[in-house]
Amino acid sequence: MEEVIFYAFAALAIGSALLVVGLKNTARALFLFFIVLFAMAGLFLFALADFVAITQILIYVGGVLILMIFAFMLSNKELLADLQHTSARFLSLPNAQSLLLVLGFLGVMLYGIAEWQENTPYWITENIRRGNIIQPTDNNINQLGVKFMTQYVLPFEVVSIFLLMALIGAAHLSRKEEDR
Amino acid sequence: MITLTHFLVVSACIFCIGLYAVLSKRNAIMILVGIELMINAAVLNLVAFGRYDKVNYGGQVFALFAIVLAAAAVAVGLAIILNVYRKYKTINPDNITDLRD
Amino acid sequence: MRDLLTISPVSMSILVVLLPLLAFVIQAILGKKSTSGMISLIAIAASTLISGGFVFTAVWDNPTISTTYNWFTIGDKTFTIGILLNNLSVLMQFIVCIIALPVHIYSRSYMKGDPGIHRYWMYLSLFCFAMLGLTISKNLFMMYIFWELVGFASYLLIGFWFTKEAAVQANKKAFLVNRIGDLGFLIGIAIIFSTFGTLDLVDLFGTDGFFAQGIDKNTTWMTVAGIAFFLGAMAKSAQFPLHVWLPDAMEGPTSVSSLIHAATMVAAGVFLLSSIFPLFNETVLLIIAIIGTITALSSAFFALGQYDIKKILAFSTISQLGYMMVGVGIGAWDAAMFHLTTHAFFKCLLFLCAGAVIHEMAHLKAHENQEFDPQDLRNMGGLRRYMPKTFTLMAIASLALAGFPLTSGYLSKDAIVITAWEWALHHGGLYLIIPVLLVVVSILTAFYIGRLIFKAFFGEFRLKDLNVTHLHEAPHAMLIPMLLLGIGALFFIFSWNPLSYADAGILQGLSVAYPFAEIHALHVIIPIILTCGSLIAWWIGWRWYSKGSYPLNPHSRWIQASLNQGYLNELYHKTFVESTLALAQISYWFDRYVIDGLVNFSATAVRSLSTFSSWIDRYIVDGFVNTVAGTTYYIGHLLRWIQNGRLQNYLGFAFTVVLIGIIYLIIR
Repeated sequence: MEEVIFYAFAALAIGSALLVVGLKNTARALFLFFIVLFAMAGLFLFALADFVAITQILIYVGGVLILMIFAFMLSNKELLADLQHTSARFLSLPNAQSLLLVLGFLGVMLYGIAEWQENTPYWITENIRRGNIIQPTDNNINQLGVKFMTQYVLPFEVVSIFLLMALIGAAHLSRKEEDR
Repeated sequence: MITLTHFLVVSACIFCIGLYAVLSKRNAIMILVGIELMINAAVLNLVAFGRYDKVNYGGQVFALFAIVLAAAAVAVGLAIILNVYRKYKTINPDNITDLRD
Repeated sequence: MRDLLTISPVSMSILVVLLPLLAFVIQAILGKKSTSGMISLIAIAASTLISGGFVFTAVWDNPTISTTYNWFTIGDKTFTIGILLNNLSVLMQFIVCIIALPVHIYSRSYMKGDPGIHRYWMYLSLFCFAMLGLTISKNLFMMYIFWELVGFASYLLIGFWFTKEAAVQANKKAFLVNRIGDLGFLIGIAIIFSTFGTLDLVDLFGTDGFFAQGIDKNTTWMTVAGIAFFLGAMAKSAQFPLHVWLPDAMEGPTSVSSLIHAATMVAAGVFLLSSIFPLFNETVLLIIAIIGTITALSSAFFALGQYDIKKILAFSTISQLGYMMVGVGIGAWDAAMFHLTTHAFFKCLLFLCAGAVIHEMAHLKAHENQEFDPQDLRNMGGLRRYMPKTFTLMAIASLALAGFPLTSGYLSKDAIVITAWEWALHHGGLYLIIPVLLVVVSILTAFYIGRLIFKAFFGEFRLKDLNVTHLHEAPHAMLIPMLLLGIGALFFIFSWNPLSYADAGILQGLSVAYPFAEIHALHVIIPIILTCGSLIAWWIGWRWYSKGSYPLNPHSRWIQASLNQGYLNELYHKTFVESTLALAQISYWFDRYVIDGLVNFSATAVRSLSTFSSWIDRYIVDGFVNTVAGTTYYIGHLLRWIQNGRLQNYLGFAFTVVLIGIIYLIIR
């Protein structure tokens, strides 16, 4: 049962992603991107990362994707044409060079995964042997809160500052030309 | 039983799809989408590996960091795209060839 | 330099030389603004006064004065310029001055109204400057420079009427013939310099110079040097094979002719030989004597048949120069210089008289609008009645030329002839031909000058249809200088004893010791023979020309030969001119067909070679280069395509490289 759901999520994610890159219509592709992100969030749950899955949905779906649609609508003057223009072709033609490169990467990575399976890293086997792995019953949020405030406080603060800087920068970049 | 390999294969597929989007799409926003896909693949990997490290919780922590950074990147990237659009009246990267020799 | 500032003979002699140069420069600057000739006249008059008053009197019969200044140094050889004042040079300078002065005065009247007269005065001053400089040169090199200047100035003066074709030809001829002599002079200088290392006349020929110390003069080089110098003198002094320029030089103004003939140009050769007399050995001296004799005889013969009054005088000059050369050749260069001096006076006078006659004839021609040659004797006759003073002066000069007693010519000519007899008797044998011929020439001289006088001044005027009342005496401006010269043609200027040349001051001043004995009997016999011969010649001439009983056929071969100057010009034309032309033709042919052919052939060869190499260049070298360049261009184009400015392409390349790297790591 568990595996069936995993495969379903995986198929949903990969299929949606393929449609995202394959569709000619940008607006449709962007909405399909929601599906991909939801499917990914579902996959995170299978890795026992419930807080990350929540965050993914909050940030991506609530923030990033809305932002993207805004930008798309602000920028793309062909949006109306795109929306009205029901193209004869539903999918765009694949770019041969990029496809070749991507398939090459995919092959290399799959080959690497296959090779890697035979010699699992030492720390993983050691943790499995000690039973030091996350269990579905663990309280992840509590643990993450403690870790952020203790062990990872420095990266946490750096990321906070960085986020602030990025937001200020984005605001600066996107303001009107006439304001200068 | 869902092993680490399952996650890795899925993440490899998503990563490659994202890469394809980055390389071939003729729209800056779709390129940004491709980048987000690749980051998501990486996040999936972090989460998958993080399951085997209960002591440090490094996988999930850095997954969160990555998501945050991705959000920041998207914000900045979209701002840049808007500026580019203002300047060139297009967001097709093929038409922006100022880096050409 | 101090000796230049005080009144020393040296500074004065330099002044004598520089005054005509100054006149030349001023005249050249003023150009047409000054046509009177006063500048040149004042300069030469001042030169004459200084030369006579300060130089000649101070140096004559006194020790030699010489001054040397370094001029320039080549290597360790220093060339000097200097002033040499001895009896010979001051005598020569004084003669030049005293002859040039009347010529200048005469020219003012004679050349009046000529359109180019400013040039005339300029050239005349230059001529005087060159000749005066030549006389006091201490150095053979310096002398050579003035020698060339004399030649150049004479070239300008002979061609003065350069619009006349004959004048241009004449000055060209004079210049070319003089070139031959100048070459000889230069070779002589070169030999002297390479042998002795100096060109200084005092160092060479002075009382303790190289030649006084008794070096061997009988070497081949000394003979060659002597002949070379003599060649120079031959051209300047118009000796036999090279005399052809002098009769043609009559194309210049008559006053110029008188100056050239009397004192400046032709005298330079004799003066040169006298200056360097110690150089000559027996062989050279004999050659000089022989050439002089041939010259004297041949030109006396040529003078017999001429109709042009100036040509007769020209040949008589050549003949008298032959006498002087014989004088040098027999060792009696003092007699030669003496004859030069006396000859300068009476020959100058003869020319000026002839000039006066020509002047009047030309006036008559212009007045009557008739076409005839004013210089042709056949158009004259009976002029004695219209120009008595000119006739008198010309008769005195003619007597002097013929060597009649009581004239200066008698003294100097006898000096040469008698010394020649003594010299020949000393040597004996074939040497006797020379003095015998000299006597014959002397009688011939009397005959041809007599012929001139009789034809021009006696009988009736030959152009009957002209109104002869327009003929009258020459103007005073011309007569006065002629009168001055006429006094100089008389004996008392040179010697108080009219019958013996031994008392002549010039001979005593130069005082040459002869190597042969004096024969007293000759001093009586020779003058009697010469005088009687002259009288007989005159009698014949008077009978023939004045009385009109001419016995000879004017078309006989001898007379024609004399008239045509022995066909020498024709001979030269045939031999030298035509052979030169033929050589030029051959050279032209050679140049055209051999050298040009060679050039054309090589040009063709080079052209085909260059075509070939052009092919190689185009298709092999260029092909290679183009291939390389094309390849580079193609690769560059390929790589240029990479740099297309598309971010996605860059990213794709980056990932491609990463992929290749990973694949390399996997399959390694």
